[in-house]
Amino acid sequence: MTVSPMLNRLAAERATGALLRDHGTLYLVDGRVVHAESPASPGLDVLLTTGGRLPREGWDEAVDRAGARREVGRFLVDSGRLHDGELEICHLGAVFDAAFFALAPASGPTRFRYGVGHWFGTVRPVSTEAVERETVRRRELLDSVWPYSAVDTAPVLPRPAAPGQTVTPRRRALLAAADGSRTPADIARRLGRPAFHTLLDVRRLAAAGLVETPLEPLPAAPPAVPTWVGEVAADPDVALLRRLRDALEASL
Amino acid sequence: MPGIDECLLEAMSLPGARGASLVDWTSGLALGTAGDSPVGDHETTAAETAELARAAAEYDSFASDGSAAGDGVPAPGTPAPGGELPKGPPVEDLILTTRSGYHILRFVETAFDSSVFLHLWLDRDQGNLALARIRLRDLAEKLVLG
Repeated sequence: MTVSPMLNRLAAERATGALLRDHGTLYLVDGRVVHAESPASPGLDVLLTTGGRLPREGWDEAVDRAGARREVGRFLVDSGRLHDGELEICHLGAVFDAAFFALAPASGPTRFRYGVGHWFGTVRPVSTEAVERETVRRRELLDSVWPYSAVDTAPVLPRPAAPGQTVTPRRRALLAAADGSRTPADIARRLGRPAFHTLLDVRRLAAAGLVETPLEPLPAAPPAVPTWVGEVAADPDVALLRRLRDALEASL
Repeated sequence: MPGIDECLLEAMSLPGARGASLVDWTSGLALGTAGDSPVGDHETTAAETAELARAAAEYDSFASDGSAAGDGVPAPGTPAPGGELPKGPPVEDLILTTRSGYHILRFVETAFDSSVFLHLWLDRDQGNLALARIRLRDLAEKLVLG
């Protein structure tokens, strides 16, 4: 179960720095994951301000005052804006959420910048194995609910409920935010919820028939014969037919 | 002001406590663990208890004290304007009794969107269910309110 061979190596050498991948970044201190970010998942600022836990100015001020010394998390607690438990719950949730996307299978390069830290600072470091295990478990969980990953990135299109079919309050809020153009990631940001939680709810809704599942694009059929075949078909002669036969034999 | 570890350690100091954890019931992630797991693996226990907690948190029958009965229920797909949610799940705790132990799942209410609960596994002979239930409620509050 290797999500990123480089991550294992960095953990073994107790590296400090930033692991940059296609869909996000993992920050390590002494080989342990202390922070993660992904364009696909809402940041801590969104999670804390959307529900009204922190006013936007309170967040901005913490970043202004403690960002340079990389202690924003600590500052939020020390200045009385958040309690320890809240910070840990919210931060851990955000780290595993971003890590899920950052560690998604990707074709691009994986790079590591030694020494690079994150301005949020360290809250509760997690081992790279725990992050990898959880990421794999989450992938399997999504597929066990509804094995169509097309719903993860497509705009969420609600479908009418069957008579008597009920929807949980959390999923009702999700459906209410689906305007036909917002993707699960957009809705997560809008509701101030982790993106993975939203994906999981979208898959559950799709499995229940309450959200459209887009058709997977069909793989393009490979051309059966060389393209010049069509061009010569109007004026066949023996030489051409021989070339055609040879080409067909060569391609079979 | 306690963090997750202090909170779990305090839960473990209760008589008969065998294991404690803080779990996210949407994803099944264990945010913190202490003591033992009944199956020897905290992550498995977290995923399993999360399913139980999710069922309790999501089923309509436990969703309210009867105020949702009758025609006041918004039809699925036509949610209330704004889609506003109460902060926490309507369920406060779950108690599950086995031949050898008790499991108490206490939902934690946060002022941001989350879905976490405290799980305490108690020995049936040594544990004091009533006491543990009250202490767990206090711990769940202290965890987020300091």
